[in-house]
Formats: sequence, C-alpha cells, structure tokens
Amino acid sequence: MSWSPVVLAALTGGHALGGLLLSGAVAFSLLLTIQSVYTLYIMLYTWDRPEAYRMTKAPARFLPPQKSFTVMLPARHEEEVIQTTIERVVRANYPTSMLEVVVICSLDDTGTIARAQQKVAQLHRQGVTNVRVLAYKQKPINKPHGLNVGLRNTRHEVVTIFDAEDDIHPDIFNVINTVLLEDPVAVVQGGVQLMDYQSRWYSVLNVLEYFFWFKSRLHYHARLGMTPLGGNTVFFTRDVLQRVGGWDEQNLTEDADIGIRISLLGERMRVVYDDRYVTREETPPTLSQFIKQRTRWSQGFLQTLFKGEWKQLPRLGQRLLAIYTLGFPAAQAVLGIYIIVALLMLFIVKVPVFTAILLDLPFYLLAAHFTLSVIGLFEFTKAHGLKLTWKTLLIMTLGYLPYQWVLAYASVRATLRQVRGINNWEKTQHVGAHRQAEALKAPMPGNPRSAPLPQL
Amino acid sequence: MHVQQSFKEDRGEQPEQSHEQARQLKSPASIGQRQVMVGRALLLVSLLAGAVSHGYHLFLYPLYITDEGIYMEQAWSVLREGMLSPYTYFYDHAPGGWLVIAGWVALLPHQFETFGNAINTGRVLMLLVHLASVFLLFQVTRRLSGSLIAAVVACFFFNLSPLAIYYQRQVLLDNLMVFWVLLSLYLATSDDRRILTPLLSGLALGVSVATKENAIFFVPVIGYLLYSKVRQRRNYRFALSFWLFGMFAIISLYFLYALLKNELIPTHLDFNLINPPADHVSLLYTIWQQLHRSQGSILDRHSLFWTFSLDAWLPKDTLLLAGGAVATLVNLFLGLRDRGKNRGELVAALLALSYAFYLARGSVALEFYVIPLIPFVALNIGMLAGRILHMVPESRRLPLLAGSAQALILGVCFAVLLLPPGGYVLVHDQAGKVVPHDLYKLPLTTLQAQQVAFIRQHIPPGARIVMDDDLWVQLHDVQPYYPFAHSHWKASSDPAVRDKLFASNWRNIDYIVLSNKMLIAMQQNNTNGGENYILEALSHGQQIWSVTRGNISLAIYQIQK
Repeated sequence: MSWSPVVLAALTGGHALGGLLLSGAVAFSLLLTIQSVYTLYIMLYTWDRPEAYRMTKAPARFLPPQKSFTVMLPARHEEEVIQTTIERVVRANYPTSMLEVVVICSLDDTGTIARAQQKVAQLHRQGVTNVRVLAYKQKPINKPHGLNVGLRNTRHEVVTIFDAEDDIHPDIFNVINTVLLEDPVAVVQGGVQLMDYQSRWYSVLNVLEYFFWFKSRLHYHARLGMTPLGGNTVFFTRDVLQRVGGWDEQNLTEDADIGIRISLLGERMRVVYDDRYVTREETPPTLSQFIKQRTRWSQGFLQTLFKGEWKQLPRLGQRLLAIYTLGFPAAQAVLGIYIIVALLMLFIVKVPVFTAILLDLPFYLLAAHFTLSVIGLFEFTKAHGLKLTWKTLLIMTLGYLPYQWVLAYASVRATLRQVRGINNWEKTQHVGAHRQAEALKAPMPGNPRSAPLPQL
Repeated sequence: MHVQQSFKEDRGEQPEQSHEQARQLKSPASIGQRQVMVGRALLLVSLLAGAVSHGYHLFLYPLYITDEGIYMEQAWSVLREGMLSPYTYFYDHAPGGWLVIAGWVALLPHQFETFGNAINTGRVLMLLVHLASVFLLFQVTRRLSGSLIAAVVACFFFNLSPLAIYYQRQVLLDNLMVFWVLLSLYLATSDDRRILTPLLSGLALGVSVATKENAIFFVPVIGYLLYSKVRQRRNYRFALSFWLFGMFAIISLYFLYALLKNELIPTHLDFNLINPPADHVSLLYTIWQQLHRSQGSILDRHSLFWTFSLDAWLPKDTLLLAGGAVATLVNLFLGLRDRGKNRGELVAALLALSYAFYLARGSVALEFYVIPLIPFVALNIGMLAGRILHMVPESRRLPLLAGSAQALILGVCFAVLLLPPGGYVLVHDQAGKVVPHDLYKLPLTTLQAQQVAFIRQHIPPGARIVMDDDLWVQLHDVQPYYPFAHSHWKASSDPAVRDKLFASNWRNIDYIVLSNKMLIAMQQNNTNGGENYILEALSHGQQIWSVTRGNISLAIYQIQK
C-alpha cells in the first residue's frame, strides 16, 4: 500500500477541487515559510557568525589621514535641517584640506539654497572654505540626478553621500580612511541608524529595520557579492563611480541599483557597522510620509528587478539573492495579506488538521520575527545607551501586526504605481526629531550674504 | 587521555583556554594529533560495541511487548490512514515518536515488513538511534568533563549494561526521547558561538518533549547549562531567546493540533476526575488527569518506583544503578562546592537527579521508564571514573606511562564487568558453565512468531479477536488482513470498539490471543470493569494452541458460545 495518497488525503480532506486549492495553499505556505526562515537568518547573520561580526567592527586605532573625501549633501526642501548637517560635516575630525563638501539642490528649491548659502557664508567668515552649494536646473529633479551633478563637479578621491537630515559621527572619515588603507575595496558602506524609536507608534519597528539591515543583513549581501547599497554614509572610490557611469536618474532607489551594478563589476565592498560611528537619522514624521518613503523603496526595487542587470551576476547564488532582495517587497505584501487570509481560514473554513498546521507555519515565523524584534530592541537600546521602557515594548507589541500591514499596503501601492507607470519621486519630509534639542534651538545666523550660486 | 575540549564558561570573544588546552598547545603538534586519533578510535570502538551489543540478537530478545506494538500501530495509522492512531487518539502521549517511526518506515522498501515484521522494523530504528545516542553521549561527556576516559566509561555502560540493552532494544518512545535530549545537550555544549546552534538545541529539546512529555524534566538543567555557556557572549540574548523559542514552537504544535481538532479543552471546562466528560477527548483534561495520577512516591515501599527498582531494574544491573547513584551524589557535591570549576559535574548530576525526581515523585510509571535515567547515570559514572583515573601521577620522563596505567586499570575493570564476575556478557548458568547472557542467546520472539503463524493457518480473517498490541500491525498490514483483531486495551476502553464492535458482550468475541502478561494486565486494568466481558469470554474459551518457555506462556482460545 502506498502511503502518499493517504498523506494527500490527510492534507486535502479527500475533496478534489478543494484539495487542489488546499494543496496550492499548503505549497504557498511552505514557500512563505522558507522565505521567512531565510529572512530571519540573514537578519541574524552577524550575530550568528563570529567571523562576520569581526568584519563589521570599525578599526580600534585610526591611521593618519591619506584619503581625500568629497562629501555630497543632496537636499530638497530641507530648510529645517540643512544648516546643522553642514555644520556637522565640516566640523568632522579630519583635515579640512582633505574634505570637499557640496550641498546639491535643484534651482527651484530656493528655501534650502538660501539656508545652505547662509551657512556657507557663515563658515567662510570663520575661515572654513571647503564647502559650497551646487544648483542644477535640468530635469529630472531627484537625488540621483543631483548626485551625478555633484560627481561631475568635484575632485576628491573618495566620494560619499550624506542626506540632509543625517547626524554623522565626527570620526567617520578617520574610520573610512583606515578601513580603505587596510583593505583597499571599491566601496565601504557605513552604518546608518534611525534613532527616534519612541517618537511615533511605528518608529520602534522602523528603527529596528535599520538596525538589522545595516548591522547584519548588508554584511551577508557583501559576503555574497550582491549588495544593494544604502542611500548615505556610503563611500565610493571616484574611479568605481566613473566606471559604473554614476547613478541611474530614472531609478527610485538609485542606491540599491548602483550597488548591484558595482557588484556586477566584481568589485569587493565592505560594510562597517559600529554602533559608535553610525550616521543617525530620523523616522518619517507622519504615517503618510512613512508610506510614501516605503512605496518609493519598494517601487525602486521593482524597477531594479525588471531592469534585469542583476541577471549578469556571475553566480547563481548572487542572482537568487538579487531576485529575493528585489522581490522582497512583493513577498511582504503577500505576507501581510496572508496573515489575514490564513486567520480567516483557521477559524471559518474547515480544513484537515494537518493542512491547518502547515498553513499556520508562517505564523510561527512571524512569532520568531517578533521575538527577534524584541531582542533587537534590547540590543539597540543597549548599544546606544538608551533606556528601554515597558511602554515602548507595549507599543511595539500592539503595533507589530499593523506595521506589517502598513508595509504590505506600501508594497501593494508600489506595485500598482509601477504597473501604471507612475515614477515620480515622493520625497520624505525631515524635521530633525533625532537631533538633540539644544542643536535644534541653536540661533540661526542673521541675513544671509549669499555667495554666487553656480548653476549647472 | 586528556582531550582538547572541556566545559568552561565563555568569557569575552575568545574562548578561554582550559589548563588542559594550554598544556596541550605547548606540547608538540604530534601529541595533539595523536590524541585526536586516539579520541576518534575510542569513539569508533564505542560505536562498534553499541552496534554489536544492541544489534546482535535484536530480533529475538527481549519479547515483543505491548507498547512496542502500540507505537508501531500508531505509525501504521500515520502512513496508512493519515491519522495519529487507528483508534480514538486521546493524547495519552505526544505523537513525535511515532511520527519519526512512520518517517523511518516510509523510507524502507517493504515498509513495515522490511525486517520481517513491524516491531523488528522498529527495532532496527532503535539500533540506529542507539548508535546516534552513543555518539552524542560520547561527545557530551567529553565536553562536560574534558576527559576521554569519562566518555569511554559512560559509553561502556550505555552500550553494555544488561539493563540498558534490555530496554534500549525495544521500540519505545523513551529511546527516541533520549536521543533528542542528548542531541539538545550536544548542541548546547557546542563552542561554535553561533545562534543557530542554541536554536537547534531548543528545537531538539522541543521534539524530545513532543516525543515523550517527561523530557520536560530535563529542560531546566539544559537551560542552566546553556545560560552558563553563553552568558558572556555578545549574542547571548538571541541565543537564549531562540533556544526557548525553538523549544516552545515545537511543543506548541501539540497544543495547536488539539486546538484545531477542538480537543484542547474539555466541554464546559469540566475537569472532574471522577466523571470524565464523555463527548470528546481533551488534551488539557488528559494532562490534568495524568498530573493527578499517583501510584505512590518514593516514601511508599509498595510504590511502583520500589517495585520496579527491586524487582526489575536492580536485578538487571545493580552496579549501574547503585554506582550511578553514588557517582551522581559525588558529582553533585563537587559541582556545588565549586560551580565555576566543576560545572560539568554539576550539570551531569542535575540531569540524573531531575529524572530520578520524576521517577520518585510517584506518578504512573511503567517498567521501561528507567530508560532516560540510563545515559545520565552512565554519564555520572564516566565523569567520576575519569576524575579518579586522572589522579594517576604523570611522569615527564615517561609521558606514556600514565596513559598506559590508566588504560590498564580501565581494561581490567571492563574485563571484570564483561566476564562472569560482572555478568554483562558472560554469566554462569545453573550448571556453573560459562555461557552468554540471555540477551545474546535466548530466542523469545520466535514464540510470538509461532502464535501469528497459528492464527494465519487456523483463524479466518473475519474473526473478531481480542489480543495484545504486539501482533496488531502483523494482522492489519499483511494479507490476509484481520480487520476485527483488536487489543484488549481498546476492547475494554474505546467506545468505538467496546460498544460498537463487541457491544461489551462476551459472545461477540470469537478468539482471544493471550499471553500470561496480557492476562495480568487485563486483571490490573479492570478497575472500572471494562475488561469483564473479555475475562468472561476467556472463561468460555477453549485453548486451541499454547506454548510455554520459562516464565512466558502464550496461548490462543476459541470462545465457545
């Protein structure tokens, strides 16, 4: 007697059509389970692999400065935060002569340009002359275009990007200088960390996404040679940027895209996440802004997926990782919907018990993910000397499933936008919530004495 | 015979070197290499000893018992019916064990009949599980003690104690549970500093509980072991939480199954033990019932603990149990005196004591419940023996001398145990002649094979038969099938069999296939009168076949109506 029909009957309850649907649901559930297991693994990668963890650490001692840096600060409608950002970059612990700072705006963004020029003028008065503002007037008005403008109009050996709301660590250039001298790679991705984990209900989970992405997951990508880079605190050799032809101005996630294209060149990348040296950022100020940001990322990933350059990656593992990563938003949408459907099936539709158990497997992985998040929160607060309160844990617990649904919604929205051919850049607003109160209260200079503005 | 690895609390990112490791690093590379080779050779010898002691005569001794039959018939139900039991599954045990057996059978070309009959097929799995357990016990002992001698001694008792062989050959959930517990321990003592390893340890422990619930008694000790192992690591929060998560995830599947079947809680939350709810079975009710069953604690001289200890366990191997008890107490003393230095001893003692506590507290027990105690008393004996033998003074001029002396002492001790003075392998028979132990020479299961052969020759397949579970799969999986052959346990308690098939009427029984042990079980199981109609049928039975060997009697009765 063969046992496989018995197993099938146990799964399907012996109904032909229902059986087909249930078999499909079970297969789908298993796929989702495998995907979730993989996601959990790469989220834990550096904690699981001691040797990988060692690679993430910043050097204990800095070598003398040898590398010169071009710092690009692309900004749009960042009047609130741009001056502080400029101040922090130019005050970094690195020789001024080896730093070149450019604020890049589109010409129509007069507010940001004015505030940036005001700061530049102030710095000039203080003898700090390595900072200037670049404005461009051609379309499209977006970050990758600005970066390409910046790349063409600067000259230092290592090119890096910071976003207008970034709080960088004063020693970040010493860290990267030392890393590049000890390990001459083409790209170093530094850590970026959202910090305002108590500001809104979704902040804590958003903060943890960054924490796991930069602290663990990116290292796994770097090891496999398929690295979708982050949008800032990323350091390129000018040579590699020129060879790869700069950023794709049509792509909504130009950072991930350029990472994959550099991976195609076979260039090695390093990821350095050291809690002490991360670049600090803030979560989007409203849920609507958060959804727009996430929609942009998801759509950008889909763009990169359909663009298909990843197909030229030499190893199968790299290509599969590319599909997995770029298609992840779609999986996220499915997971969000699956949670609802599976819960309904569990309590409304009568299915054989073994089938029900298999359909429930993704819930276990969801529980594992939640456990991971709770422990991640402990790790995050400890690493940054913050206090973890029961209130935060409670908010995180209550907000966990809604957060997944918000992500799923953003992914569905991104997919629909992509299908409809809508590619405009939905910019995220920044208010500087992560910055110290005193920094925000710092007096603004008086009337700006604008320097002549180069128009590009 | 010192080894590379010992159980030490981790501090910081680099594993702290034990004194032995440091000493070894200073030694020539060839010495380290030789020790690795010696370690591997001794492990191989232990595995071979286990294969021979458990594999030889496996199908012939001991007699097939009821529980072996039950687990094989439940595995049969998994494969043939997609169910957890051919009868109403009432959560008497978690199903992990027979799901594994079903998985094993599914891989075989002739499934249940691959090795002659279903229980033989199950016993081959037990042999493989034993070998895997030998490997794990060897490594765990070595890691906890840092001593090869300890590992060899522990495996010697685990492999060759007559008490161990007798029960470890049988198809019992306890043997599978022991494997999972040892696997969990093996992973928990790993030095690889990963998160995946504690997670797998937790999963293995979860499977052990889902195999046999009393594995839960090992959980606190393994938890303590893991905590002390990982506490100083940077990833300890993940390691501990995923260990817990893995364990609870597996255990929760059992509860999820009951929930999905609407069998988690009894109707109206009725936990009345005197009048059990009759409409459906319930996992929580069964657990509640099991928690309240008692057959006398260690304080009661007539409890099952003492009955089994004095009548079944000690006669099979006094040395293992008495020596194990002493070793456990000594290890406990050493461990408590210096937890940092002797944490391995403390863990070993607590493992044995936690299960001994389960046995002694007085719940319902069966004879083979001693199984999970065996590897851990062996572990304690091994660790104490290792400690004692390492007291042999070492000479710098003659470095091999101490090792040779240790090997010699060990060899003499093993020889004494294997030869008639110890009686592990060779014994004196009643005539004073040196013969192999019954384990290696007495063919008992042939009697049961004769019983089945008689049924097939003389009883029609449509007959309504009451029997013991050991024959169940033979009569339901091999043509011609006997679909109305049922165990007396189900005929007396399962309404579907008792009321529907037999209507509790002795005239509805055609044959009773009996053993003397089954008769005792029927009498003991008859507190609610469920067996009355079967016993009455027996009184109307005419014996049509019988065989007796030693204290074993098998018979078949045709009921005269």
